[in-house]
Amino acid sequence: MERMSLPARRNWQQVAAEHGFTFHTPDGERYWDETHAYRFTLRQIEEDLENPAEELEQMCFSVVERAVADESVLERLAIPQRFWSYVAESWADGERNLYGRMDFCYDGAGPAKLLEYNADTPTALYESSIFQWVWLEQAMEQGILPAGVDQFNSLHERLVDALGHIGIDGVLHLACARDSEEDLGTVEYVEDCARQAGLATCRMFVEDIGLAGSGQFTDADDRPVAWLFKLYPWEWLMAEEFGDRIPGSGTRFIEPGWKAVLSNKGLMALLWEMFEGHPNLLPTFFQDDPGAAGLSGHHVRKPLLSREGANLRLVEDGRVVAETGGEYGEEGYVVQALAPLPSHAGRRPMCGVWLVASEAAGMGIREDDGMVTTDDACFVPHFILD
Amino acid sequence: MKRSRRIALVMMGTSALALAACEERKTEAALFETVEQCVAEQGLVADQCYREFDAARAQHAQVAPKYTSQTDCEEDFGQGACETSSYRTTTGNSVFMPLMAGFMMGQMMGGRAHTQPLYRSRDDAKTFRTADNRPVGRTVGRTLVPERSVAKPSSKLYTQQRGGFGARARAAGYRVGA
Repeated sequence: MERMSLPARRNWQQVAAEHGFTFHTPDGERYWDETHAYRFTLRQIEEDLENPAEELEQMCFSVVERAVADESVLERLAIPQRFWSYVAESWADGERNLYGRMDFCYDGAGPAKLLEYNADTPTALYESSIFQWVWLEQAMEQGILPAGVDQFNSLHERLVDALGHIGIDGVLHLACARDSEEDLGTVEYVEDCARQAGLATCRMFVEDIGLAGSGQFTDADDRPVAWLFKLYPWEWLMAEEFGDRIPGSGTRFIEPGWKAVLSNKGLMALLWEMFEGHPNLLPTFFQDDPGAAGLSGHHVRKPLLSREGANLRLVEDGRVVAETGGEYGEEGYVVQALAPLPSHAGRRPMCGVWLVASEAAGMGIREDDGMVTTDDACFVPHFILD
Repeated sequence: MKRSRRIALVMMGTSALALAACEERKTEAALFETVEQCVAEQGLVADQCYREFDAARAQHAQVAPKYTSQTDCEEDFGQGACETSSYRTTTGNSVFMPLMAGFMMGQMMGGRAHTQPLYRSRDDAKTFRTADNRPVGRTVGRTLVPERSVAKPSSKLYTQQRGGFGARARAAGYRVGA
């Protein structure tokens, strides 16, 4: 794994416009950065990232199995009691999942360490799947990279295939919150994939979801919402005004309700409890667990539910070295052994490995200055060259 | 190879938009305000006309847009152009819907259009629209209609409440994705 300086494609902004990539420079801050790229060997990709991600996914399923059979686990994860049977039934009924992103700390040598699993509302999907792919093709064409390089990225093919196999009959509605160009970009891309899978689609905003007298959810034109891809966190859906109406609505959600078990930092503590010592796991404990005290010197404290690296506290040698702001944490925290992201000329990459229908399907790297990857991070493309 | 053999976008981006527009296919249909107009159309017989009209009429109550106030309905469809539907709100109040302004004859005409009721909105009163608010034409008789606009119309539920999701995103003030 090597960070290399490369010339940007001469025409990349025009290419971005042609491909609908509208959020590459949000608020004038660089997000897409192709002046660098990470080079991997095929062995690093396959043995250190791809295979572990799929093994971890199976371990996550063991956690879900345990959670739905043991209410004390759902309670530890702060999932509201009124949703316990809903979550359990979504799992028992085999409701299909579409995608997720596992974030790893990896330096090219030694096992990649799973930092967290964005199993419910991961973004950066479009740039991983499409724009990174186009970059590789054009970088070879323009002589920026030698011919014959490869990339860990079968996202597009797998998304189209997976959407066609969920069993969606009728219209697929897709929703995110208003006023986020980046979330909209992800939803537009999933919609594009759904159309390519032959599905009829309808895009909307979560604020426009209505509730009919029958208890069904409706779209802005009062049509029933039978299948909903929602880029909106389960814990928010559950807590909001219409939340209690979800179980009786008949709407099938993507991701399904059982993803609430996995999109929770408590997952990392449960994985450690069940698979202690696994090479891809970091020691992690719920904050009130006696084991947490053993990590007092070097650890990061994370809220069970948080987004964009908010409310993290990093402790090194017993001192707080970094802390991010935010509004999360009321549900509790986990304490995770500190695995500092490797530094490449002061930039710290986090490897996000994508899973589609639970199979490893690609990677997107986000890079930040600090140890915490925030929403100021840049997306840096990668390639495989032995 | 560890990457997709090919990628494609059918909706996003400039090249994709052009492609989507090319895909708009037309199909044969006929539009009528009344059964009599249908019977008068060359090549059609009364039997067929009544059968198709009845088929459209039967869908009307289910697929027409629904309103909780007559004023709101008339705002969209014009004065006197609304009727009380057989639906009730959970609190027992009336639900309103526009009058059926005509019907589209579909498969009988040899095309892929679905026979269905038609409506006319106040702000564009000359145009026939489907219950899903897709414009399908202005003139009575045989015509070509956009294939995507004339599928089976969707059922319209009466939405009692909206805005029960989204509060956390507003409070957080930034994007949701992780």
